[in-house]
Amino acid sequence: MISMAIPLYERRLKRFFYLLILFIILVFIVSISSLSIGPAMLDPIKVLQALAFKLLGRDVGGLIDVVAKLRLARTLASIFCGASLALAGLLMQTITRNPLADPYIFGLSSTALTALALGIILAPDLMIQRVYVVTISFIGAMIGFTLTLLLSKLGGGSDIAMVLAGIAVASLFGGVSHILLYIVQSMTKVPYMYLLMGTVSTTLWGDVQLLIPLIIVPITLSLALFKPLNAYLYGDEFAKQLGFNPASIRIFTASISAFLTATTIAFIGVVGFIGLVAPHIARFFVGIDHKFSIPTTIFIGALLTLIADIIVKAISIFIGGLGELPLGVVTAVIGAPFLSYLVIKRMRR
Amino acid sequence: MKIVIKGLEVWYDSIQALRDASLEINEGELTFIIGPNGAGKSTLLKTIALIIKPKVGVIYIDGKALSKFSLKELSKILAYVDYQISKSLPSTVFEFLLTARYPHQNMLTFSMSQEDLEIVDKISKQLNISHLLDRKLDQLSSGELQRVLIARAFIQGSKVLLLDEPSAFLDLKYKLEILDLVKKFTKINRSICIIAIHDLYLASLYADKVVIMSNGEIVAVGRPREIFREDLLEKVYGVKTHILDINGRIAVIPLEPLNKMEL
Ligand SMILES: Nc1ncnc2c1ncn2[C@@H]1O[C@H](COP(=O)(O)OP(=O)(O)OP(=O)(O)O)[C@@H](O)[C@H]1O
Ligand SMILES: [Mg+2]
Repeated sequence: MISMAIPLYERRLKRFFYLLILFIILVFIVSISSLSIGPAMLDPIKVLQALAFKLLGRDVGGLIDVVAKLRLARTLASIFCGASLALAGLLMQTITRNPLADPYIFGLSSTALTALALGIILAPDLMIQRVYVVTISFIGAMIGFTLTLLLSKLGGGSDIAMVLAGIAVASLFGGVSHILLYIVQSMTKVPYMYLLMGTVSTTLWGDVQLLIPLIIVPITLSLALFKPLNAYLYGDEFAKQLGFNPASIRIFTASISAFLTATTIAFIGVVGFIGLVAPHIARFFVGIDHKFSIPTTIFIGALLTLIADIIVKAISIFIGGLGELPLGVVTAVIGAPFLSYLVIKRMRR
Repeated sequence: MKIVIKGLEVWYDSIQALRDASLEINEGELTFIIGPNGAGKSTLLKTIALIIKPKVGVIYIDGKALSKFSLKELSKILAYVDYQISKSLPSTVFEFLLTARYPHQNMLTFSMSQEDLEIVDKISKQLNISHLLDRKLDQLSSGELQRVLIARAFIQGSKVLLLDEPSAFLDLKYKLEILDLVKKFTKINRSICIIAIHDLYLASLYADKVVIMSNGEIVAVGRPREIFREDLLEKVYGVKTHILDINGRIAVIPLEPLNKMEL
């Protein structure tokens, strides 16, 4: 008797591990390039050396030390925020069973930002602490998700209805957050505008130290949920039959997804489309099983965000304008055509 | 193993779908549920599968009330198969079938055991879907998908198999082959199998027991010969029929409806 399932399974497993190694290497290479690129160009080899020295606890000294330290926070923020947004998107696509889901398209980002701006206006003293910033933006994201789902239910609950409901929520609260941030700016004289389209350029070393655990924990939780998530994909009744409660999966996963979104917004602002694109690329390579798709999505998200940030830096170097473009502008330019492609593919069927 | 159903009443908001339904089902028997559209066949199966909660009544599995089982415990002994499955995110047949082993695994076990894979292998061969394992669920014909869905129930290894319209999309050969397989599985494992079906001929071929339902009520329960009677079918379906006896097999020939639809 020739077995079909066993070789098929082993092939998939092998492919996953090869791809994972490939993506880790890619993230590493792109990170080094990201550290090297800036107003002062550094030699990538020297950057690598400096990193290695730092890890060994030796003194590096010189320009490299200063520049790399400044840039390291930015690069790490790109990696972790990218991973976070990508995973948030994947989880949303799973629990809505909608391939078009993304924290930005579904309006979570705008409501989180609105909540954040309200928080700064109403309780500026509290908002100095990141814990409160993340909490208030999490509440905003949950409200946004709920609003979009309720609105799309009224509209029939189809995939496209969900996207339209999301766009309605995103536009409304995008506008509201604009107004609120304008008020914030007049109060604090600090340009909060970057929050609207996101940037990693202002991330500090202290931020990164807080950001990393805030993202690692939900990643670990979602990985532990891979079986319920897989069962959930095929329908509520199916999940129940395999012993999982679909309503609990939905609430728990939606919270993780909203938390990831909220955290990135609290640290770098609104960056769209990473959550839409990364899961699609990951599923293309490793399939739908979450034990493969979660790690792959995370690395692809990190990679996409790193590349988008390098583009931001490159544009500012070549054009030499005032300041830099927001990160969200670059991801939108890459992501929106992809959304159009998905919508067209879906409507044609 | 034995299932005892006592006085079930199921409501969908203001619609009553089951009225005082009582039934006993024994292991090793193939029980077929027949009845017109909307009679409550699917509702009865879903209530046994704990997908729907009854308003009144109890279901016992080996003397233990169904409501006392956790979802997790139930997933090891029971599978309900119908045609409803979400295909909006593109899964392969293989990925789908692997999930059916979850009830027997630890939540965090990363890899599939050799044994699990061998079960998937064996069942895929029996249902002739080995060549479809790498295909996406939305790239299958209706009959192929139906076989995949039935394979899932076998792979889950449940002792209670609830099949809702398993023959709906199958061709002549697969209708017979799959019901043969289901029958063998039920006899060998001494398991329980309840099948809701519209095809009366298949029911008469394979049933040990037939349950006929109408309007949320169980009208009669018995051996095929006791149920497939012209008067009973006319009463329940509103159709004049003629019963043929072909080499000891019963075939129901529908003649004409009692009330014709007006144009
Ligand atoms: N989700 C639901 N919400 C409201 N009413 C429902 C729902 N599902 C079924 N019903 C109603 O309950 C009754 C029984 O439905 P059920 O699906 O059990 O019938 P059935 O015997 O399986 O019919 P069919 O042969 O068409 O599959 C019908 O009157 C139906 O309209
Ligand atoms: Mg039915």
